[in-house]
Amino acid sequence: MTSSSISPALAKGAQKPRRTKTFAAQRRAVLLFIAPFAVLFLAFYAIPIVFAVVQSLLTVEREGTFGAPQEVFGGFVQYQQVFQNTEFWRSVGRVVLFGVVQVPIMLGLALLFALLLDSPLLKGKKFFRLAFFAPYAVPGVIAAIMWGFLYSPTLSPFGLITSEVNVLSAELVLWAIANVVTWVYVGYNMLIIYSSLLAIPTEIYEAAKLDGASNIQIAWRIKIPLVVPAIILTGVFSIIGTLQLLAEPQTLRSFSSAISSTFTPNLAVYTTASVPNYHLAAAFSVVLALATFILSFVFLKATQRKVSQ
Amino acid sequence: MRAHYGKATAAFAMVSALTLAGCAGGGGDSTAGGEGGSSCEPSSGPVDLTFTTWVPGMDKVVDLWNKENPDIQVKVQTGPNGNSGTYQNFFNQLQAGNAPDLGQIEYDALPNFRVQDGLENIAACENVSDAEDQFVDWTWGQVTFGEDDAVYAVPQDSGPMAMFYRKDLFEQAGIEVPTTWEEYAAAAEEIKAQGSYITNFPRGDVNWFAGNVWQAGGQWFSNDDEGWDVNLTGEESEQVANYWQGLLEKDQVSTLPSFSDEWNASFNEGDQWTWISAVWGASTLATGAPDTSGKWAVAPMPQWEDGGSAAGNWGGSSTAVLKGSEHPYEAAQFALWLNTDPEALALANELGGLYPAAKSATDLEAFSGGVEYFGGQKIYDVFAEASSNVDPNFTWGPTMTQTYTDVSDGFGKAIGGDGTLMDALASGEEATVESLKSQSIPVKE
Repeated sequence: MTSSSISPALAKGAQKPRRTKTFAAQRRAVLLFIAPFAVLFLAFYAIPIVFAVVQSLLTVEREGTFGAPQEVFGGFVQYQQVFQNTEFWRSVGRVVLFGVVQVPIMLGLALLFALLLDSPLLKGKKFFRLAFFAPYAVPGVIAAIMWGFLYSPTLSPFGLITSEVNVLSAELVLWAIANVVTWVYVGYNMLIIYSSLLAIPTEIYEAAKLDGASNIQIAWRIKIPLVVPAIILTGVFSIIGTLQLLAEPQTLRSFSSAISSTFTPNLAVYTTASVPNYHLAAAFSVVLALATFILSFVFLKATQRKVSQ
Repeated sequence: MRAHYGKATAAFAMVSALTLAGCAGGGGDSTAGGEGGSSCEPSSGPVDLTFTTWVPGMDKVVDLWNKENPDIQVKVQTGPNGNSGTYQNFFNQLQAGNAPDLGQIEYDALPNFRVQDGLENIAACENVSDAEDQFVDWTWGQVTFGEDDAVYAVPQDSGPMAMFYRKDLFEQAGIEVPTTWEEYAAAAEEIKAQGSYITNFPRGDVNWFAGNVWQAGGQWFSNDDEGWDVNLTGEESEQVANYWQGLLEKDQVSTLPSFSDEWNASFNEGDQWTWISAVWGASTLATGAPDTSGKWAVAPMPQWEDGGSAAGNWGGSSTAVLKGSEHPYEAAQFALWLNTDPEALALANELGGLYPAAKSATDLEAFSGGVEYFGGQKIYDVFAEASSNVDPNFTWGPTMTQTYTDVSDGFGKAIGGDGTLMDALASGEEATVESLKSQSIPVKE
């Protein structure tokens, strides 16, 4: 079927005199198909980034106590402030600590669930796949509100525990947020790893079984090594997500006194923009974006080297 | 095919142009009209105005105006409380050049908007400057910044502070209702012994804390032509900070985020015996803690000096004409009507719990009778008295949102045992000076 539908087109394209015209038409078609993406990409991605960079290079000048603000070029004045801002760097440290602990736990769980779903021993796969994935369908803000109530010392249905151990206190609140994030994203990461598992040809398992491998050995020696690229992908997503934490801490602020306005880097950006100090907020954003890029890149390089060895 | 391609290119060009134009507009044409007070003429023809507020029921009040003024129709947009989002929207809209004609702005945020060049001076608009006598003195000072030929907003409501307390619980426990802060601390200890809290210390409500400093006679900011003076750590601030620090350390006050569900529940279940709050707190309590209806009463704020009568103020808003409005004359007339018309004031109180800044308001029926939630007590007599005892000279800083956030972060740390409230004020002062400098606002040191 496929060959018959393609061949007339090929035949047409092969006609020599029409060749240049077809080429132009093709180019037009390509442009047409790219246009929707290009427009959206430029309008909502490229231009805002350029705009943010431009904003970050400006500074405000004014004369007198109530002088009207004038925007002038300030060079790297805002960046100087970014690097002197201890609260911002403390927030970066906080999310890095968060990532070092939470990302491995989350991805470990996601891998475990994916292997269980893929294992021949499990009954009711469809149900569990949906059950694990369901939290991801809950918007982050809603999830944070729900967990906020569960954590609350007085309103929680588990009040007996939460009134003894206040997870919303200054010491524990970071891990309370980690729990919410893990709950939401385990299913999502699981699905990526699981679909990668499904792509492994079953002949490999049969061969391994013939060689006398147990289910655990198959999981450990065959499945996991083969899904490493998927795990790396989820790792990169998680690193980016961690550095950009905003919705969960912002929502939990109405439950906990321990979440400051600069708790995460993005929250610091948001707070600075509401001062309003748009230029400093833009500089924070640019630095944060660069840091995210570098971290993801380093992670990718480091893991790729390991895989190829 | 060809036609489609053409359309797509056109659309692409248009979107890019729009986005670029949007960016260019973001620069803010701040050169136009520094002195807006020089002229204010009515527009010809019908006028549509937009008004952003967070007072519940304000749309009903505005309906009254729309019925009487077919040529000046006002559309109400509601948003979250100022510092919870509306101010940020205003700043963004001002930057983009599409702010509403009128906006609700609390007194403490007015300097911030003025410094960002976000307010129209409506002093030259008909009737505006003559309205001075109609408003409580200190509120007029807040909207004029004490300058001649300057009116940047019309006072809407005020928040004189007093003490809400659980009359029944104090009586049952045989504890005297405190009249001084010393007695208040003693009561806190007894109440804690009974397993409850005398009140909640609100980390996030730094303006509440400022109201307490205001009562103690302190000043956080002052300005003249030379620039701003920032002093969050004066003697009075220290007194107030050390006082609450003591209560926090003895765990005699709770530390729930205020106005949260948890906070409401705590009042509703009788865990909180008092709330030092503003007049608008009466409706907050009535909706947040409905089960305790009839058990509350209102007394003046506890005093630092025996026999004193000083009161602080917490909150209160104005109606400002935002920069860029095409119809400042009509907007100013609406703002005046909204905040002086007896019918409008009565309805705004009924639906939104506002305590008007207009002097005439005390004659309104709503403010002369007893209130059922408070066991029939004529609570507004207490607040009217408090209002007259508020120090008329209190200046807010030009980056209050930032000051509040920084102090509040410090308060959060202090509550978690890291530093003290006084440390929070010191770091808040430092951050404020830093923030002023980074925006080229002159600071005196």
